[in-house]
Amino acid sequence: MKKILEIALGLVTSIGGFLEIGSLTTAAQAGAAFGFELLWAIALGTACIIFLVEMSGRFAAASHHTIPDALRERFGFDFFIIPLTSTLIVNFLVLGAEIGGVCLALQLLTGIGFRWWAIPVAFVVWLMIWLGTFGFIEKGASFLGLITLCFVVAAFMLHPSWSEVGKGFAPGLPAHDKANYWFIAVSILGASITPYLYFFYSSGAIEDKWDETYIPVNRIIAGSGMSFGGTIAVAVLIVAALVFPRMGVTQVDSIDKLSQILTPVFGRWGVTLFAASLGIACLGAALELSLTQAYLVAQGFGWNWGEDLEPKEDAGFALAYTLAAFISALLVVVGVDPLKLTVFSMALTAATLPLTVVPFLFLMNDERYVGEYRNGFLSNAVVLFIIGLAFVLAVVSIPLQIYGGS
Amino acid sequence: MRVDLIRDVLDKQLVDRNDRKMGKVDGLVMQMREGEPPRIAFIEVSTITLARRLSMRLGKIVARLSAKLGGQRHAAPFRIAWSKLTLTGNDVTVGVDADETPTQDWQRWLKRNLIGRIPGA
Repeated sequence: MKKILEIALGLVTSIGGFLEIGSLTTAAQAGAAFGFELLWAIALGTACIIFLVEMSGRFAAASHHTIPDALRERFGFDFFIIPLTSTLIVNFLVLGAEIGGVCLALQLLTGIGFRWWAIPVAFVVWLMIWLGTFGFIEKGASFLGLITLCFVVAAFMLHPSWSEVGKGFAPGLPAHDKANYWFIAVSILGASITPYLYFFYSSGAIEDKWDETYIPVNRIIAGSGMSFGGTIAVAVLIVAALVFPRMGVTQVDSIDKLSQILTPVFGRWGVTLFAASLGIACLGAALELSLTQAYLVAQGFGWNWGEDLEPKEDAGFALAYTLAAFISALLVVVGVDPLKLTVFSMALTAATLPLTVVPFLFLMNDERYVGEYRNGFLSNAVVLFIIGLAFVLAVVSIPLQIYGGS
Repeated sequence: MRVDLIRDVLDKQLVDRNDRKMGKVDGLVMQMREGEPPRIAFIEVSTITLARRLSMRLGKIVARLSAKLGGQRHAAPFRIAWSKLTLTGNDVTVGVDADETPTQDWQRWLKRNLIGRIPGA
């Protein structure tokens, strides 16, 4: 009975927690510029994150190690410092984008400029972690995150041609704007395969004291939860593809344009609903990211850590998430455009994926850690293929995007 | 008992006798003895050791900084005698109280002067 409840909660968590500013913005941009053509990128990214999240849960349950802890132990500090630094930097940017997302939502609702909201938002994020427990953060944020299902409702209400939608899942070459097409494809992959998701998930499995008996549960949660989550991103793309071209918008480069995405379906409630979805989804992601930054450092250096401990029991850990939230908020305070920051940090995520994922695959094949639960051929092959593809596309398309001036 | 130093000891999680996490095994110190085989005498738990593993120059900078901030107690890496170690599966347990070692000084300072003063801590 407890396990069934656990599965239900896990599903809600992954559905409510899937959408954040990264998948929302990149899916909307893809839909506006290329119709259904980039749906395959969401499908590929979702497939990869299903495998990675399943692995990180299985790893924690079988080895009782978190990923950062094991990466350092297995490869030594001199190597560990590389994935640690790259992940901290990428997370710093992504966290800035998420905090920016909450600020943009507040700007839409109040009319007060987003920069003014950065520090108050960082404070709320910090306060929730400071006072809350792990269950509160994980489940509370995700239940509210179910509001993002309004995109699925909107997609159905717009009556898309489902055969056209289906064609989008077959990768194809673009008819126009090749550089932009591949750049958005990379950003979508980066937005779906964000490393903080599986770092957070593996820490969660340790916080919830998982053992081998959780491995089947974990498989169901990772598989269905992430698929449903990916469905929301697919819905955003479908809605964007149907709504924006009719408005004459092909580049969703400002929040004013993006915020109109639900208006044709929900009328005057459209902007409010969009703002609420954006705000809640980004707040949830900001909580998880701040904690992930602290997990990375504390687990890598062997400090006491745990969201369920009192802050005075793990002062270093508490300092780490405090700094993480406020330092990333500075990006928004100085006026970096949250949408530009989002797309850039998603592409950078894709480019740096091999640094964390390849060593993690070594751990997943190491019997000393996972024993009989090590990876099969399929898991290794799928993940290697997708992150390899994301990496190559990123290395090719990021310079094109920066110097191509599109 | 056969122990693979790099695999089974270096960079492992260290817990004290009260089962509290107290850092990682940052370094191993070997003692050369006249007429006898060398032996592992200590493990080191210190940022200085970590910095040295990356570069000697960085090690010197961190050592100077550490002495400035923490006084003489922090001028050199903290060592624990090998005899105090027990290898316990996932972790390395040491028979000391973490709070009595310099490894927890900065966390204690943080607790006293910053984190512990915020309401709700």
